[in-house]
Amino acid sequence: MELGPVFRAVMYQKGRFWLVALEVAITLAIVVNCVNLALDLRAKYSRPSGLAEEELLVVRVEPFAPELAEEAYRDAVRERDLERLRSLPGVHDAVAISAVPLSGGGSATGRRPRGTEDEPSTTPYFIVGSGALATLGVELVAGRDFTEAELTTPDEDYEGQPTPAIVSVAFAEKVFGEADPVGRVMESSTGESSEFVVGVIDRMQNSWPDNEDNAELSVLMPGTPGDDRRGYYLVRAEPGAVDAVFLSLDEAILAVEPGRIVEVETLVDVKRDTFSANHALVKILSGIIALLVFVTGLGIVGLTSFSVTQRRRQIGTRRALGATRAAIVRYFLVENWLIIGLGLVVGVGLTYGLNYALAEVAAAPKLGWELLAFGAALLWLAGLGAALWPALRAARVAPVVATRTV
Amino acid sequence: MLAYQIRIAWSSLRRTPVLSALLVAGIALGVAVATTFVTTFHVLAADPIPGKSDRLFYVQVDNWSPERPWDRDRPQEPPDQLAWREVQGLLASEIPTRQAGMFKANLTVHPRGQAERPFRALTRVTNADFFEMFDVPFLYGGPWDSVAEADRAPVVVLDEATNRRLFGGEDGVGETVRIEDRDFTVVGVLAPWTPRPKFFDVTNGALEEPEALYVPLGLTPDMELSSAGNRSNWKPFDGEDYADFLESESVWLQMWVELPTEEQRQAYEDFLAAYVREQQALGRLTRPVNNRLRDVREWLTVEEVVPPEARSMLIIGLLFLLVCSINLIGILLGKFLGRAPEVGVRRALGASRGAVFGQHLVECEVVGLLGGAVGIALSAVVLRVLNRLFTEDVELFALDLTMLGAGVALALVAGLIAGLYPAWRICRVAPATYLKQQ
Repeated sequence: MELGPVFRAVMYQKGRFWLVALEVAITLAIVVNCVNLALDLRAKYSRPSGLAEEELLVVRVEPFAPELAEEAYRDAVRERDLERLRSLPGVHDAVAISAVPLSGGGSATGRRPRGTEDEPSTTPYFIVGSGALATLGVELVAGRDFTEAELTTPDEDYEGQPTPAIVSVAFAEKVFGEADPVGRVMESSTGESSEFVVGVIDRMQNSWPDNEDNAELSVLMPGTPGDDRRGYYLVRAEPGAVDAVFLSLDEAILAVEPGRIVEVETLVDVKRDTFSANHALVKILSGIIALLVFVTGLGIVGLTSFSVTQRRRQIGTRRALGATRAAIVRYFLVENWLIIGLGLVVGVGLTYGLNYALAEVAAAPKLGWELLAFGAALLWLAGLGAALWPALRAARVAPVVATRTV
Repeated sequence: MLAYQIRIAWSSLRRTPVLSALLVAGIALGVAVATTFVTTFHVLAADPIPGKSDRLFYVQVDNWSPERPWDRDRPQEPPDQLAWREVQGLLASEIPTRQAGMFKANLTVHPRGQAERPFRALTRVTNADFFEMFDVPFLYGGPWDSVAEADRAPVVVLDEATNRRLFGGEDGVGETVRIEDRDFTVVGVLAPWTPRPKFFDVTNGALEEPEALYVPLGLTPDMELSSAGNRSNWKPFDGEDYADFLESESVWLQMWVELPTEEQRQAYEDFLAAYVREQQALGRLTRPVNNRLRDVREWLTVEEVVPPEARSMLIIGLLFLLVCSINLIGILLGKFLGRAPEVGVRRALGASRGAVFGQHLVECEVVGLLGGAVGIALSAVVLRVLNRLFTEDVELFALDLTMLGAGVALALVAGLIAGLYPAWRICRVAPATYLKQQ
């Protein structure tokens, strides 16, 4: 390797050398930080929800007929709705529910184990009728489902005694720790509301899947969801029948009672809406990364070409003195390798600096060294690739050039 | 002189069209990315009601649990909305020039023709002062009057789109429209109005469109209206009765007051404190007195209306432009030094270093401005794509005059960064070398 001569040649043209190094350094800082941001955003929406997302349809029902202000009539209509929904061809099961998981809208309260002074945990909950577990597609891992009696007993009949609840594994761990949660009682800080755990379900994301820490805290409580303003049904279709079921829902609901506004959405769309900003940002960041690597690549091509043009006579002389074409290509690649290497070293500092700045002003996630190493390796390869074409061009310089004056 | 330099620069650029196009494209790309993110930040951080933002105040009163603060992460913060009781109590004050309690509801509108099905419309339930306080423009009619306000009359102001939907765009004032279970008289139709951010209700989405309908706050108990936005609660209330709900500690309303003078502001603060003490005597508001009176900008800052991502993208966008500029340094260096013999002759003929330096810098700025023009046009396109990606609102992010200026400034700075070093190098060319060689 001709490291010595390369290094001396580089030092002879410090300006150009620092330019490329600086450009590579800033590019590394931006690219790695963009990738870091994009990965963080993507992690949020690619976490599994635990739900049968692809098969679930959301029906939002908003009553306006005056009769529907009567709770008894609404209850009757709900029963008929569910009967109708479950009888539709292609429907696996359906449930009335107080809020839509993954939608960004729902209810939460605070619970702690009975008899403790713990800080109450955030407790996002869903009031559900019968068929919740089968419809949502969540798996019962301990305890049991709600009984028919539990699903039909109004809260008042418990007279202040704990009502039944099914909790997610994540919630059980947060509130009860390692202990077996089945049979345990949790309550609000005032003690006025309390529930006993009858069952534990595996993963289930609640209404706020974008929340870093609380997304998997879910509690199901039996009851009669919906009021005179709005109600929701979740309908689970057979895998191949989602589209057909989607089209039949509106009519089915209105056939039971027309005095309502009905809207049908797939849960996939609901989730996409919740994460629309994340999706958009990931696209933008990817675009910026691609553009930046392209621009920097072009810059390296340009500068290397320039230095080749400037040194045509030296190249010719070397060739005339017996250097092979491969040696010329190697020379320029090694030179490039040195310059980019220096840029990357400077870039590591810049990258951490930018990460720190972004964390300060925008709560950006901390940067792992693996990502930085990966980014540096990638940029280094891209840099070498960009230098290849000018280097090959240099190798085509004929030895005879050395003998000509300009 | 400048005109002459620009002419020279132009002919120099025309001599190497491919290289010049590359230079312009480089700057254009950088300016496009930077301008785009400067604009998104500018839009999100904009003052939504300039000239008035320092005299409109958002009212907060701490009615939360005696045992824990509303927000555990920011324990000194009172709740971000008010309970119905507070709004009723505070509206009694005569200190503010204007004031309005408000919340967002979702109401059923029954179009007159039997053919069209009823639809839900987002509605702002508020006081008549809302419109003047926030400079809301009217197309037809105006706000409801004080008589209607006092009588809790069923009157409604429509936005332009709803007026079009219900009355085909004709002046709907005086018409009746059935909303929920009663007939409302249309008193006004708004001209298109989209404050950004939607500062008067950031709790329920700072980027949302304003509501379609506006009805008097006084109708709330009669019609048993409830919020379609956030509602928080620390204490369960007994019974299912709507009256119990209104009496509860549930927070779901916003309240704004206009206090143009410092005296009024001071007086209103005293009034707030006195109100809380009075309630405390009744056994409510058991937390320490913790009222807030924040003007528009302060409130938007506290609520972090500018998403952190917008800041990140601003920084990244500017750095991107920097990389593009640095990129051009190398190309310009090549171009200028290739012209060294010619410059040598000019220097020998008496051109000063300053003149050569200036000449080359002007050339860079011409490149910068050309690139800037292309970049700003490109940015306008990118912003339209962003609007589609982020919202339904097709005009959220758009260039205004300030942003055009910012784009041009960015282009000039980029041209300067790219040109400074090459221009300096070329002006230091020693004439003698080239005279000898040629």
